Amino acid sequence: MKMFKLLIFFFLFSPVLFCEESTPLINKSTEADISIEGVDGNISSAPVKRSSESETIHRAGEDLRSLEVGKRVGAAKLLGKYRTTQASLLLIGSLDDESPLVRRAAMVSLAEHASYGFVVYDKPLVEKVYSKLGDSDVEVRREVSTMIPRLISGMMRSGMEIVEINGRKVYRSIPSTMRPDLIKITQDAFLDEDSIVRQNILKYHSYLRVPLTVSTMEKLLMDDDIGVLLTALNRIAVNASNPRIVDKVEKLSKHAEKGVRLKVVSVARDANRYHPGYRSILRDMTKDSDPEVLSMAAVELARFGERVPASVVEQIKNFLLEVDGLSTQVTTILYAISALGVDGVEVYRALTEHSSSKIRSVSWQRYLSLSEGWKKSSVWLPGVEDRDKKVRESVLNSVRGRTNSLGVEELSPLVDSQFSDVRIFAAQCLLNAKMDAVGALGFNLLIDEDTIVRSSTIRALSSRKVPGWVKVMTRSLLDDDYVIQRAAMDGLLDDRKVGVPALLEYINKNPNSRISNLASIELRKLGVQL
Amino acid sequence: MRVLFFLFILLNFIQLRGVEKAGQQRDEGSVRIVQLLRQENSVRRYPDALPSLLKMLNEKSSARFDTDPLFINNLTDERLFENPILYVNCDEQPNLEFPVEERDALRRYLELGGFLYLDAGIKASFLGADLGHSYAAWEERPEVRDLFAQVFPEKTFIPLSRDHDIFRTFFSGLPKNEDLKIQENQKRLPETVLTFVEREKWPQATYSFVGLKVKGRLACVASPICAMGWGRDEFGAWIPPISFRIRESAENFDKNLEIASFSGDTYEVTREDGLKDIIYSESGQRPAWVQEPGGKWRIFKYYSGEEISNYAHAFYSRLGMNVFLYALLN
Repeated sequence: MKMFKLLIFFFLFSPVLFCEESTPLINKSTEADISIEGVDGNISSAPVKRSSESETIHRAGEDLRSLEVGKRVGAAKLLGKYRTTQASLLLIGSLDDESPLVRRAAMVSLAEHASYGFVVYDKPLVEKVYSKLGDSDVEVRREVSTMIPRLISGMMRSGMEIVEINGRKVYRSIPSTMRPDLIKITQDAFLDEDSIVRQNILKYHSYLRVPLTVSTMEKLLMDDDIGVLLTALNRIAVNASNPRIVDKVEKLSKHAEKGVRLKVVSVARDANRYHPGYRSILRDMTKDSDPEVLSMAAVELARFGERVPASVVEQIKNFLLEVDGLSTQVTTILYAISALGVDGVEVYRALTEHSSSKIRSVSWQRYLSLSEGWKKSSVWLPGVEDRDKKVRESVLNSVRGRTNSLGVEELSPLVDSQFSDVRIFAAQCLLNAKMDAVGALGFNLLIDEDTIVRSSTIRALSSRKVPGWVKVMTRSLLDDDYVIQRAAMDGLLDDRKVGVPALLEYINKNPNSRISNLASIELRKLGVQL
Repeated sequence: MRVLFFLFILLNFIQLRGVEKAGQQRDEGSVRIVQLLRQENSVRRYPDALPSLLKMLNEKSSARFDTDPLFINNLTDERLFENPILYVNCDEQPNLEFPVEERDALRRYLELGGFLYLDAGIKASFLGADLGHSYAAWEERPEVRDLFAQVFPEKTFIPLSRDHDIFRTFFSGLPKNEDLKIQENQKRLPETVLTFVEREKWPQATYSFVGLKVKGRLACVASPICAMGWGRDEFGAWIPPISFRIRESAENFDKNLEIASFSGDTYEVTREDGLKDIIYSESGQRPAWVQEPGGKWRIFKYYSGEEISNYAHAFYSRLGMNVFLYALLN
């Protein structure tokens, strides 16, 4: 400590030396022309001469020695704006000020330095800052505990010292351990009277390599503060196998706060490998009064391969049917239902009628996938009637390419759909639908208002070679829409016997048509002489 | 009684509002917020924000919101007219320049009874490209002004007074220990912070809002970014952490700050009283101090930590709830 005080004294009262050290920064001073408009509107335009950085810091240093608390506070606040070694030293020196207001201001300014990456690395200085974790003022303790991540690198540095043994210089390494008095301060801080300090120490103690004993952990798992409780639950891994901790977690599984119980589910899932008691906790939690907690516990058990009782599955289904939308938690449950296996299929089916379009979308996709629903049109047809495009997309993507030999009854609702994406799908289905369905419904799609529906239909009709298809293609070549002309041209090009002659005839009659040029090129590629 | 009254008003709103196809909402049983996201693949700054706020709305009030916002890419999307509230985080848009069709659609939407909440519709000039700051300026950002000069050339945004109903539609006053779920004997905030917050930053839980009236109704409000304070993780903990910028004074500060070393620029920001603060800020750094009208100087100090973040989140969420419920009720 004596050495530390000497060091501070040395820095504080050797301005010349440290001015030199900070020379590159001195020239940052500028003259700002400031017009100060008074209340009466008169403008005083006299430029104010700003001082240099070293002058400002020097003046703040003097103010820190003032007898007036207000001046010392102001100086401590101002020094936070200047990230120099000298400013840091002045601030650290004022951490022992008798006024808590000064200590607070100094600590906030040091935190401001640290937030810009200007961190004190000198171990004795960092230790001085950290020692304020034992300050009598709660605001100072809070500020230090918040700063811990920024203090660690300086505090846990190893080093080297030279000692003289029997007149001989010996080089010795200094381990990166914490001073015993600081360890004691840290351990006391686990049970600090202020919940923010307790929470911060819990968060950062592992970085400081300060062990958290089972008895302390037990006390923290009984903390009245929700923030401390949630943080403590996050930190049980080291002591998770201890039966006393398992017991405490079990008690928390019945905590009044839902967030804590949800956290217990997550903790019990992760700690399952340390003690079998955690799985029992999860089983008990499937009887929770809150359906969300119950559902989370059940899906975690299902992920472990456990069979979830039918009554619980029913409750999960009811919970999901009643939620207002897809929150993070609901998303987890929704996707995890797959782990319920066959039982999950029914849940997904029920959710296809949910009011949330995102839930319907996911449910349709999962339902069709798990039940192989694409094989039966009666299963997926209701999905294409959904009012939300994303839901319909989800259904159509699940069945696209998997439907085969659709008949008139199955195709009709698709052809009559008010949604163009569904009618496009219907046109695509003509490629492998029953021939009578193609004949009966293909022409309805040919007169559709949507271009893509018409072009898809043209391609399907030419591929299926329905009676009269060449006439359809040649008529379509006369369409104003290039997409339709192109589809018709492609259809004719695929048939050398009747299609190509029909196309040649069109070119001869309409040499200046937009499609004729491309058709000529394509025909030449096929070796047809024009 | 309050709940019944609210339900009555809500039902009336849904039935009578001129927004097209409101019946579809009724069928679904919950109000869906439309969120504009002009670039689907853009980086979202606060993706958990709106869903978390809507969840909180459902938990704390009798209103029923779909917690899953409906995203649209442009204002001509017909689904906009099926829903009464449009939320736009201005910082998440590549720009606020809309083609004439979209501007017309926006005008029609607001005239038909829709409500537009422009989060980050206020942004102080000194913040530049830094999106993570909420600063109480009392005028809309220039892009918003330019947009509305084309949508409603005859109208201008006006600051909402501190006693406006929007600040007390559901919650009134700043969060107490009970609201923050901390013990009665625990310090809510550092003293200087609490004093500034209660007296100047958010007095009576108000903030710098500007609004635009259409047909006598407040149809559009703009605020500094509030979404940063709405997000929660799955266990109910607030995300992401928020720090406070506090104006502080001390003995001799008027003199000290006037002559203290400074090498940055100054920026003017409109205050609530219409006068200008002069902000001193160096490039790439947070603002250092401010010269207030009348010649008073104060320094900006920055506070971070659990209690700061929790308090800020509680405030922004309560404010956000008030805005959305105001939108429904009015």
